[in-house]
Amino acid sequence: MTGKQKKQFWNLIQTTLILIAMFIMLVPIIWIFLAAFKTHVDVYQLKLFFTPTLENFATVFDDPYRLGEKLVNSTIVALVSVVIAIPIATLAAYSFSRFSMRGETMMLVIILATQFVPAVVIILPFFVMFRDIGLLDTRLGLILVNLAIVMPFAIWMIKGFIDGIPMDTEEAAMVDGSSRLQVIRNIVLPMAAPGLVTSAIFCFIIAWNEFLFALILTNKNAVTLPIGLALFKGEEGDLWNLLSAAGIIIMAPMFVLALMIRKYFVQGMTMGAVR
Amino acid sequence: MAEIKLKNLTKRWGDFVGVDDQSLDIADKEFLVLLGPSGCGKTTTMRMIAGLEEPTGGEIWIGDRMVNDDLPKDRDVAMVFQNYGLYPHMTIFENIAYPLRVRGVDKADIPERVQKAAEQVELTQFLDRKPKALSGGQRQRVALARAIVRTPKVFLMDEPLSNLDAKLRVTMRAELKHLSRELQITTVYVTHDQIEAMTLADRVAIMKHGVIQQLGTPDDIYNDPANLFVAGFIGSPAMNLINGSVQDGMFVTTGGTRLVKVNTPDRAAAILGVRADDMQVHEQGQGDIDVTIYAFENTGESTLLTVQWGKQRVIARGDRHLRKDQGDVVGISLNSDHLYLFDPETENRIGM
Ligand SMILES: Nc1ncnc2c1ncn2[C@@H]1O[C@H](COP(=O)(O)OP(=O)(O)OP(=O)(O)O)[C@@H](O)[C@H]1O
Ligand SMILES: [Mg+2]
Repeated sequence: MTGKQKKQFWNLIQTTLILIAMFIMLVPIIWIFLAAFKTHVDVYQLKLFFTPTLENFATVFDDPYRLGEKLVNSTIVALVSVVIAIPIATLAAYSFSRFSMRGETMMLVIILATQFVPAVVIILPFFVMFRDIGLLDTRLGLILVNLAIVMPFAIWMIKGFIDGIPMDTEEAAMVDGSSRLQVIRNIVLPMAAPGLVTSAIFCFIIAWNEFLFALILTNKNAVTLPIGLALFKGEEGDLWNLLSAAGIIIMAPMFVLALMIRKYFVQGMTMGAVR
Repeated sequence: MAEIKLKNLTKRWGDFVGVDDQSLDIADKEFLVLLGPSGCGKTTTMRMIAGLEEPTGGEIWIGDRMVNDDLPKDRDVAMVFQNYGLYPHMTIFENIAYPLRVRGVDKADIPERVQKAAEQVELTQFLDRKPKALSGGQRQRVALARAIVRTPKVFLMDEPLSNLDAKLRVTMRAELKHLSRELQITTVYVTHDQIEAMTLADRVAIMKHGVIQQLGTPDDIYNDPANLFVAGFIGSPAMNLINGSVQDGMFVTTGGTRLVKVNTPDRAAAILGVRADDMQVHEQGQGDIDVTIYAFENTGESTLLTVQWGKQRVIARGDRHLRKDQGDVVGISLNSDHLYLFDPETENRIGM
């Protein structure tokens, strides 16, 4: 084989592997996508051509499923968690990044370690605690739990972005006459903005998809979308068409957010600040 | 009125001494250059004055105020950073305006003052751009404009020309000199470029390992070096340092050549310093001694002759029309008005 043929050969293999990987990942999603528009009768047949219907989407918002309520719960819980988590995490991350404190590394490790505790281990104490103080089945309770989940993640991620801001830039601002808070507001926040948006989106996704805590800590009023999926079990088995419609509703924001992340993630942060 | 006083200023990191017990008085309106090799503590000294680095010991006075405990913003200094430290998310205009904005200057006055500073460094056509759309030299000038847009008590400039190409550096050096005369503000200027130091400074402080070796006017430093380090550091090509001894009022090289009359008591070991410019090149037999050319270089404005002198090599400057080749023999004579003797032990100057 000549060099060129060899290259073409490898390209072919690469493309094939990518296609196979894509196929494996996309099949369930395509399946859900098709099922969401099928009638109950059509679902179990693997046909690609059928008369699409929007009926499933109407049904899931109706009694008895009332997915709308769950959508509202999910949105509020995820949004509020992010809105509270990001500012606090930003200040914490800034401190970790710029000040040296006694036991700093230790604290960072502990914060990270919380991420490795399996949720099932701490869910029972949470349940008992929440029952005693009346936070069971409330959005506030879920928000608190989600904060605990996303905060360590957000601190670490944002710290990475702030570490990337050259110290010179901040010092220049201080000499130019800024107080520490002015430095954060005028220099750090704008420069870390792409990172903050990215972190916020990741946190939103985590909170939005959170399943285990919501399953145990809610039962009626504060039920979120992922738990809502469990409703679609009929006497005659799983209602796949409804399940799929709900699945699409859960996934839709994720698609949008994934696109946004791409946009911000590639945006250069510090170009031109230093030589 | 803003003189700067450093009193026994020290900076240590663990066992490592960055700046060692340094005392220095910088007069009002003086342009002081800190000069020294990489890692000698120039930036550290400057950062301590700016308040970006906390001294381990000693005091810093600006005007009649001890500023050790003042925040950088309260010291009223303007600094040009070695790496510019521009604000990448702001336009050039906003960059230059930032010190004014954050210090609460009347909004209506800002555009005019930014414009004036931009004019002084010839940046006016770039005001709408972001830093990343500028060349290194232009960014450097933004950093300068941001410093001169205010009238601070003190300018601190950390190698502000280091990232420019040779030509732009010469232009900017002249611009800086002009600006500093115009603005009349106490300036501390860090560089390891001796030409910058010689041309810009009222006084130069030469540093090594965190200690000031000599403090004086460029003339003093060049013509009256206090020790071997200063002598070898200043001047291009570097001063020739020849090992030998003093016998019967003559300097004798280690090779045994009786070279030149000196006015010192005899001593077993001495180092003679002589600059390339203070040696004359003659035809063979017409100088004090004859030497063989090791390398002949023509720089355009003059010629440099590296000659083999016993075991040592010495550089002499010749006329720009001189044409020789390696292996040729020439005569060399020393200008006895500009010879320096050093003690090899202490490395200090010996009077002569
Ligand atoms: N944060 C620090 N921790 C430990 N050592 C440091 C620190 N900052 C600087 N130093 C050391 O202090 C010494 C002086 O550093 P400084 O930056 O003042 O050098 P400089 O004279 O500005 O050199 P250059 O010409 O290369 O800029 C160096 O040896 C450096 O390694
Ligand atoms: Mg430096």
